[in-house]
Amino acid sequence: MMIDSKEMMLAGECIRSAIANGADEARVSLSKSVMDGYTFLNGELDKVTHSADRSIYISLFVDGRYGTFSTNRLERDELETFIARAVSMTRMLGEDRFRRLPDPGRTEKGAKTGKELDLYDESYPESNAVKRLEKARSLSIFKTEDHNEGYRLISEECEYSESLDDNYLVDSRGFEGRHTETIYYCFSEMTIEDLNGNKFSGFWWDASQKERDLRHTECSANALKKAVSQIGPKKRRSGRYRMVVDNQVGSRLIAPIISALNASSIQQKMSFLDGSLGRKIFSDGFTLMDLARTPGKNGSRLFDTEGVATKDSSIIENGTIKQYFINTYMSGKMGMEPTVEDISRPCVMPFMKGKELKTTEKDVSLKDILRFCSNGILVTGFNGGNCNPVTGDFSFGIEGFAFSRGRITHPVREMLITGNLIELWNSLTAAGTDCRASARWQVPTLAFENVSFSA
Amino acid sequence: MNGMEHYLDIFRVTDRQLQTLTATALAHGGDFSDLYFEHTTFFNLLLKDGEVSSGGFHTDYGVGIRVLKGEKTGYAYSESTEMKDMLKAAEAASSIADGAYGSRTYAAVEDRRSDLYPMKANWRDIDASALLPFLKDLEKAVLAKDSRIIKVVARLSDSISDILMYNSLGEMTYDTRPMGSVTVSAVFSKDGRTENRTASRSFRTGAELIGPALIAELADEVVRDIDVRFEARRPKGGRMNVVMGAGASGILLHEAMGHTFEADFNRKGQSVFSDRMGQQICPKEVTVVDDGTVPFNRGSGNYDDEGVPSEKTYMVKDGILTSYLHDRISAGWYGVRPTGNGRRENFRYNPIPRMRATYMENGYTDPSDILAQVRQGVYVDEFSNGQVKIGEGDFTFFVKSGYLIENGRLTMPVKDINIIGNGPQALADIMAVGNDLKIDNGTWTCGKEQSVPVSCGMPTVLVGNLIVGGE
Repeated sequence: MMIDSKEMMLAGECIRSAIANGADEARVSLSKSVMDGYTFLNGELDKVTHSADRSIYISLFVDGRYGTFSTNRLERDELETFIARAVSMTRMLGEDRFRRLPDPGRTEKGAKTGKELDLYDESYPESNAVKRLEKARSLSIFKTEDHNEGYRLISEECEYSESLDDNYLVDSRGFEGRHTETIYYCFSEMTIEDLNGNKFSGFWWDASQKERDLRHTECSANALKKAVSQIGPKKRRSGRYRMVVDNQVGSRLIAPIISALNASSIQQKMSFLDGSLGRKIFSDGFTLMDLARTPGKNGSRLFDTEGVATKDSSIIENGTIKQYFINTYMSGKMGMEPTVEDISRPCVMPFMKGKELKTTEKDVSLKDILRFCSNGILVTGFNGGNCNPVTGDFSFGIEGFAFSRGRITHPVREMLITGNLIELWNSLTAAGTDCRASARWQVPTLAFENVSFSA
Repeated sequence: MNGMEHYLDIFRVTDRQLQTLTATALAHGGDFSDLYFEHTTFFNLLLKDGEVSSGGFHTDYGVGIRVLKGEKTGYAYSESTEMKDMLKAAEAASSIADGAYGSRTYAAVEDRRSDLYPMKANWRDIDASALLPFLKDLEKAVLAKDSRIIKVVARLSDSISDILMYNSLGEMTYDTRPMGSVTVSAVFSKDGRTENRTASRSFRTGAELIGPALIAELADEVVRDIDVRFEARRPKGGRMNVVMGAGASGILLHEAMGHTFEADFNRKGQSVFSDRMGQQICPKEVTVVDDGTVPFNRGSGNYDDEGVPSEKTYMVKDGILTSYLHDRISAGWYGVRPTGNGRRENFRYNPIPRMRATYMENGYTDPSDILAQVRQGVYVDEFSNGQVKIGEGDFTFFVKSGYLIENGRLTMPVKDINIIGNGPQALADIMAVGNDLKIDNGTWTCGKEQSVPVSCGMPTVLVGNLIVGGE
């Protein structure tokens, strides 16, 4: 199931073949993955899937030119022809003097086994179809004769899967790195109908690198709770409200910022954070870290796709931009020091406006933040919308609940929020400590002041 | 199109092996089994900062094996077509069946072989060096259009898929599917402000796609109305009438209505239209189709990915819900013919009901008369980033470009707003349908569980009572 020594040798042979065909430098990424999935529909097994993939991805640097190629046909003779054609095609492309492999001094040296970050569950090979099937079955809470107050359960879909991803990266400057992880995943979606025939749906999921950490028992109950909670939505008047965003969906408000900090966006004049490095752009309370090297956590990795070593670092510190994401190519093109190509594991740090969070108080949940804000709208989902990458102006459809005196009063729908991301993050009043353990994006419950809602 | 032997050769399989694999797949009592062989080659070139300085090609090869037991699916695939590897996949897929035989009979479909996308110039025969000048010429043409352009990015991608399908009914079908796509983006700068605009074309066609005509078309489109973009503002929001411009507005039809007609959502009771077959769901002037037979269209296929010949399916005819979009599973469940909508991203995925080219047919009204009847509203000609909740039918769409309508005339250009509404309600609230149907041939891709190429279209349509989110 995992990459074996023969396959690692094959990756090395691809490098040698590329050089022999005339490439100056080359990088090869060999990936293998296996996935077993089970889906239940209304309590009955609906789908069984088994997948096994392996592929090679080759980056070639030939006479100052650059090309990328991939194939899943790994027979030696096929690969020989493939690489010869790839080198030949790269020669036809335009010259780009900034394309090169990263300096060996920047690449990771300690990713030998792939298991250094403790993302691999050693019990994975012992799992079997019977065990997986039982786990999947246990997700279902569907009852055909269910009698509920105020609603009828229309359908329940539950999914459970176990997978293994193994990646081996090697380049012609001597870099060699491996990343191996297992993923256990569960998902439930419930559709219900209220007494007036209106349908509502809710979903829940969890994922973990270790089987023991997967919180699957509450998955369907949480999905049902989310569906039921939407019954009886009321219209809310347009206006400016305090906005609380729950820890499931806050990444939607961070992703455009991360994209705008990418050197490629900046170089292409497609970033509203162009020229912001070292400047205070956001409010004091906004600190975003990249905690890339935390063992056992989703998103952690020792090296990026160039082989460059990741590090734990501040991206935004008390509102000041500390880092752009600059890969080797962009570094040359922009004349800036390289960093890493992208964020690995974004983490928003806790904050509460006007309140010093002491170590003993560092347990700030949705409930605390609703109480802190008193009145406003709690956003539990985003539905469509866009953020203009050049200006940071956004407009997102939302769903959620109105709250008053710190307590949820009723669901709202057909609403949207508009504004500018820089202004929004300058109105941040709280960031909790309740990030979902399973998520790559460590974004807790957030609160913002004075957000424009339309309805 | 090549004959069957050509496809058997590509995958190095024989008739007998196909039968053996099918028998293995059904060994535990499955009702139906199919094999989906695919060999796809992709090629791409990217022009950035004045140079075509990156590109490459990619190969994907394998076979997907599916077993159905009633509506249940067992699915596995192999990236090798060595018999031992395929047998392993067939055994894995067979595990969906419980040992009992005969829960559902899957009916054969009539083979209507067609060739919707004959290629004049096969992409596989074209050298990269022959394609490079096209992107350079495209960049030159775009830059010549407007001195305010500070960046141009152009991309050319093509693919050819050889497909062989065989099933336990003995049906063997095969297809070669080309796709060529060109996208160009420009960033404009004026008085310290920047705006960007993108234009694209995508067709199931060979390399005859590229040439001066396409360059002219894309260059015109990418600079069109850019002055208006600089003037555009976010308007005051509220509930109002919305005129959807002909063409690209069809994406709203795809997202907000089309998905609710897909039979899997309806079979599971999740769609708002689950129990409304045969009912009048919108005004008589409205007819909505999903069409897999438009020649060279990005969403078309000679067959779907279950070997069912493509067809033009009327979901709504004269305002009445007449059909869902079916794959073989849902067709069996509803007791109807499959509509050729069983599609998949590639051999790694089992087919599910998916749209192809979804559009509203022409109505009776002249577009200028539609505009004239709106006292206050919004005209939208480009949407993006739409999302819909299938159960509730609620949708949100971001408006890339449009205008305010005041007293029947287009006035202030608008941007950065969303339109929100409810799919079934919006259909019911259609007040007029224009006679200017236009299919948009951009690079549309639908992402329901898997990515598949689609296209969309609309005539000018007036919808009452939608929420426009603004200041």
